[in-house]
Amino acid sequence: MTCIQDFTGHDPQWCPGCGNFDLLDCVKQALCELNVEPQRVIFAAGIGQASKLGFSVRANLFNGLHGRALPVALGLKMANHTAPVLAVSGDGCFYAEGGNHFIHAVRRNLNIAILASDNRVYGLTKGQASPTSPPDFASRANPEGVGAQPLNPALLALVCGATFVARTFTGSKAEVVDLVKRAMQHRGTSFLDIMSPCVSFNKVNTFAWYKKRVRPLGPEHDPANREAAIKLALAADEETIPTGVYYQVERPVFEDHLGALRGAPIAERTLGYKPERVRPLFERFM
Amino acid sequence: MPDLHIVIAGAAGQGVQSAAAILGKLLLRQGLHVFTVQDYQSRVRGGHNFMSIRVADYPVAAAVDPIDYLIALNEESLHLHLPELAPRGTALCMEADRGRVSDPRLRALPDDIGPAGANNPKYVGVKLVTMLTEMVGFAKQLLIDAVRQEMGARLKPEIFQLNLEAIDATAHFVGDADRHTLPFRVDPAHRQMFVEGNEALALGLIAGGIGCYYGYPMSPSTSILNTLAEFGPEVGIAVEQAEDEICALNAAIGAAYAGARAAAGTSGPGVSLMTEAVGLAGATETPVVIIDAQRPGPATGMATRTEQGDLLHAAHCGHGEFPRAIVAPADHYDCFYLGAEAFNIAERWQLPVFLLTDQALADAQRTVEVFDDARVTIDRGPIAPEPPQPAVLRRYEDTPSGVSPRAYPALSKWIVSADGHEHNEVGHLTDDRANRVRQMDKRRRKLAGLAAEFAGPEIVGDADGVLFLVWGSTTGPALEAAARLRARGERVGVAVFRHLYPMNKDKTRAALAPAARLYTLENNGEGQLGQLLLLETGLATHGHLGNSDGRVFTVAEAERRMAETLGGAS
Repeated sequence: MTCIQDFTGHDPQWCPGCGNFDLLDCVKQALCELNVEPQRVIFAAGIGQASKLGFSVRANLFNGLHGRALPVALGLKMANHTAPVLAVSGDGCFYAEGGNHFIHAVRRNLNIAILASDNRVYGLTKGQASPTSPPDFASRANPEGVGAQPLNPALLALVCGATFVARTFTGSKAEVVDLVKRAMQHRGTSFLDIMSPCVSFNKVNTFAWYKKRVRPLGPEHDPANREAAIKLALAADEETIPTGVYYQVERPVFEDHLGALRGAPIAERTLGYKPERVRPLFERFM
Repeated sequence: MPDLHIVIAGAAGQGVQSAAAILGKLLLRQGLHVFTVQDYQSRVRGGHNFMSIRVADYPVAAAVDPIDYLIALNEESLHLHLPELAPRGTALCMEADRGRVSDPRLRALPDDIGPAGANNPKYVGVKLVTMLTEMVGFAKQLLIDAVRQEMGARLKPEIFQLNLEAIDATAHFVGDADRHTLPFRVDPAHRQMFVEGNEALALGLIAGGIGCYYGYPMSPSTSILNTLAEFGPEVGIAVEQAEDEICALNAAIGAAYAGARAAAGTSGPGVSLMTEAVGLAGATETPVVIIDAQRPGPATGMATRTEQGDLLHAAHCGHGEFPRAIVAPADHYDCFYLGAEAFNIAERWQLPVFLLTDQALADAQRTVEVFDDARVTIDRGPIAPEPPQPAVLRRYEDTPSGVSPRAYPALSKWIVSADGHEHNEVGHLTDDRANRVRQMDKRRRKLAGLAAEFAGPEIVGDADGVLFLVWGSTTGPALEAAARLRARGERVGVAVFRHLYPMNKDKTRAALAPAARLYTLENNGEGQLGQLLLLETGLATHGHLGNSDGRVFTVAEAERRMAETLGGAS
């Protein structure tokens, strides 16, 4: 078996032409290029078409609730801080139902990769607005348009203290593979904002629409410059959309500050726990 | 005098807790039994606070009403608590706080007693505690030792010295007429622990192998978070203050899936937020412990008061049908042993386990025999043997017991898929009709198996008399009140429920069958244990002795309510 076959899970059920097919190929390719083994990596998925990517990768998967992939990822890393964890979901899951968790997961700088497949629409529930839909986006649930301003995920991640922020487009497969790898190699919360067209419910932000606008960042951009990164994020939805690593810095990760996470993972140490571990504590109550 | 009831009262920030801690330490070191209840409001400064300290030379697990010694740290406390002072009781305060009170039971200490440096409000607590310990005959050195143990490390040497001088001057002030040596059998060699309910619970979780704990600060559960966070680095427990209770339980589920023993703790308002994830634990068959330190509801309710109002919520919360378990510690010993056992229940049956405690138990501090960790076992339930090559685990294999062997993902060659959607045996989502029925039946079988191994209620006293059904913090007052009634010739017993859901129908029916009549005694208005009993066993109670005032049952109150059911002849 080739490596890609090793990682091949259940057949995905997306619409033909969905950007998530490309993302799935790229994720498997990145895992192979990083020599990760399927039984070593854990996916935490939410709910929505994007999160179903988890089922199509043959690897450990916790497919939880809508909006709650990042709290699950927090638990995974605290129980096993040595396992690579990828949180996979879409714009509705990460920014609407899970908005609060997104803010705090990024603040924590947990050593995980967040793969956010953003198609600016709700696919699973058939076409309602998402937090990233433009104000004039209309659907049966929003016949007069959304009204609200679209959320800017890269900017949100930057102001929450993210240590790795990158944007890409599913039509640029080589770049997606490269950025998934760099996100997984980065020590800290890596946020990868992946623009992905929805062929059924988003007739504006199509494959061609993105293709025309995306421009890979050149060497003139300094990823250590947070202000420059914020400016790039603010430039989103202009006529050109910069892709690549907006921002990357090293900062201690969440796992570093917890004394309990030094050494072997807690899940592994638990195998040897005996009730007498409590005994030395009794003296403090005597 | 079989026991002694001391109340220390004052404004928040006046040192009520410090004074009680010093006194508690002294009594603990004398081998005496102590039961302490604190009554506080949810604020840092101001507001009326008091600690009720019951002392005896036999184990005590409930609060009593009449006060033998009242230590009033301010005038308001004197006015509020004098009506509760026993006819032969004594009240202690500073001269400045006596106001116009001219009660012959009051002893006021001159405001300028002790060195000049100790004539400020900071020393009122230690001075009045000195009056008390002198009056009841404890050697001054015992008090000095207790002050040193409790506060010595925190105080500057000169401040500590002022405390000693204040103790000395106060001790000399107490007149011989006020000295009554108590008839307690002291036993300084008797090594005991002095723990709050929540501390006992935290220790139990540690004995049971907890690895990850999550909470969002909420009274009265916060002290579990604090205790585990304090011990976490040295014992190896990763503790995180989550952004909300939704995160707390989802994170605990993630940690449990990854192979840690994990728990999330909160109070009723947080359980409401966790409800979504309770179902997730049920659907994914993830073993997790949820601690609900109950307080009065609904909505914000009363943050620092007590209630047993969440039993039916714990039994039924979450949409759809899935198995869960509910256990409730009846005292501090249960907090430890049942806290450890909760993980075994969760992992053997792979479901969410609610551990329901309540403010009255969570915050009550009492002396206990040193916990015996040899009584704790760790049983992680069925684990799949390692495969020779990496392979996908049939995580939800249809088995006779309904429990499918687990594996710890990323620590094993098994590839483990856990799914909150309906899923097939390998954890892949499907709406297939036959599969749905198989998986629902499989999960439901776990409930039957768990019920079969759960215990029925423990019957204390006359099984064939009038039986009072209790759980949680009402157990202590009920047991003592029933003993008093039996001493007066009444035929009464108490049925203590610890394994509340799923109920073992046969054992429960057998235990309750001989009873003349059944009454629930609960800190709620609707008799939730009675309703659950009816649903689970078909047994109906004759009535409910309830209480929605948010306050702990005292022994006298429990006795009065129980006596009313006996024909009013008491």
